[in-house]
Amino acid sequence: MTVILPSSLMRQIQENGERQYPEEGAGLILGNIDEGARRVSGLIHRANSFEPESRGRRYAIDPKQMLEAEQEAESRGMDIVGIFHSHPDHPARPSEFDLAWAMPWYSYIITSVSNGKAGESRSWRLSDDRSSFVEEQLVEVHFGSAEEER
Amino acid sequence: MSLVRLPTPLRPYAEGQREVEVKGTTVADALGNLAQKYPGLSRHLYDEGGHLRPYVNVFLNEDDVRTLQGEATPIADEDRLVIVPSIAGGTSGRQDAQPLRPVDHAALRVNQALIISLLGAAFIAASTTLVAFVGLVMAIGTLFDHPGFLPLYRLLRGRGPFRPDVVRDNPEPHRFAQGLGAVVLIGSVMSAATGLGTISWALVWIVIALAALNLFGGFCVGCAIYYWLNRLGAPGFQQSPPPGAIPGRRPPSAV
Repeated sequence: MTVILPSSLMRQIQENGERQYPEEGAGLILGNIDEGARRVSGLIHRANSFEPESRGRRYAIDPKQMLEAEQEAESRGMDIVGIFHSHPDHPARPSEFDLAWAMPWYSYIITSVSNGKAGESRSWRLSDDRSSFVEEQLVEVHFGSAEEER
Repeated sequence: MSLVRLPTPLRPYAEGQREVEVKGTTVADALGNLAQKYPGLSRHLYDEGGHLRPYVNVFLNEDDVRTLQGEATPIADEDRLVIVPSIAGGTSGRQDAQPLRPVDHAALRVNQALIISLLGAAFIAASTTLVAFVGLVMAIGTLFDHPGFLPLYRLLRGRGPFRPDVVRDNPEPHRFAQGLGAVVLIGSVMSAATGLGTISWALVWIVIALAALNLFGGFCVGCAIYYWLNRLGAPGFQQSPPPGAIPGRRPPSAV
């Protein structure tokens, strides 16, 4: 599946990774499924709830926050279609740990941040048998879009 | 029939439905029936060992079922179960630090209380067999990654004073503490077998004292040792203390 992401939101994802560096930044991606593509229309930034010592290598969003976010997305007529997170000084590829904790269906957008500067962002989805991640096409679009941020 | 609400990622495995009606008298029952109805869901709900995956959280109406009676929580017809994913990820391998997980401290306390009373009884009756039994239960619990006397706690859970007390915590230090107790008790049994009676009972009293310090003083010495080894970077001790917690003390936040 293709993920269509307005460039303004891409910039927010990258800025989030840079701001959190050297810790990992993360948040939720809101959007709709439209003719087989995922059209991203908003982001929800969430605090990394991991223990401080490990935040450079880990992110977590707790279930209570997730439940609230799902309800919020629904009230805005959208779905949580994925998760974004940064990999400080690591490539934008999912790790073994990402695999163990991944949900199916979600798009996982990973941004590599080296020395505080955001590099490439790539989008991944868990395969149906949970054995690996499959890369999906991430298309950045430059026209205006209803974007909301919190 | 109860309603189970699925998070978006699991809906494709249940014919795209947001809410599914399932039969069941307990949470485990309802989830089992759900997985049976939609076999594609099963892999994402349960791991290879048949346990709920760590990222699967189940809320009964507004409460996390871990704060009730876990999967054994009874449900009524008009109840609504909500499955919510925990989201986690990161850069390095799965052998590294795990996020905090729900740990039922009531189960730990029941375990400590039984260890103290059975070892006390063993001392009074001068029964090395009873010491060996307690050591064995603790060793088996450590191998299976739960408090040794957990089956007994499960029978008591939710009744009278045995309310679950679930805290987001690392289970590993508690497992290590129990393992350490088991090793000391095995040492005690071996001392008794070689005629070192005094040493054997001294070791039993060390375990009683440490379990009592944990039960009545809220301080887990084994956990503190675990976190100390973590600070020293000892391999296998990857969990750091939860934020805001003194190593060995109970973490501050409830689930």
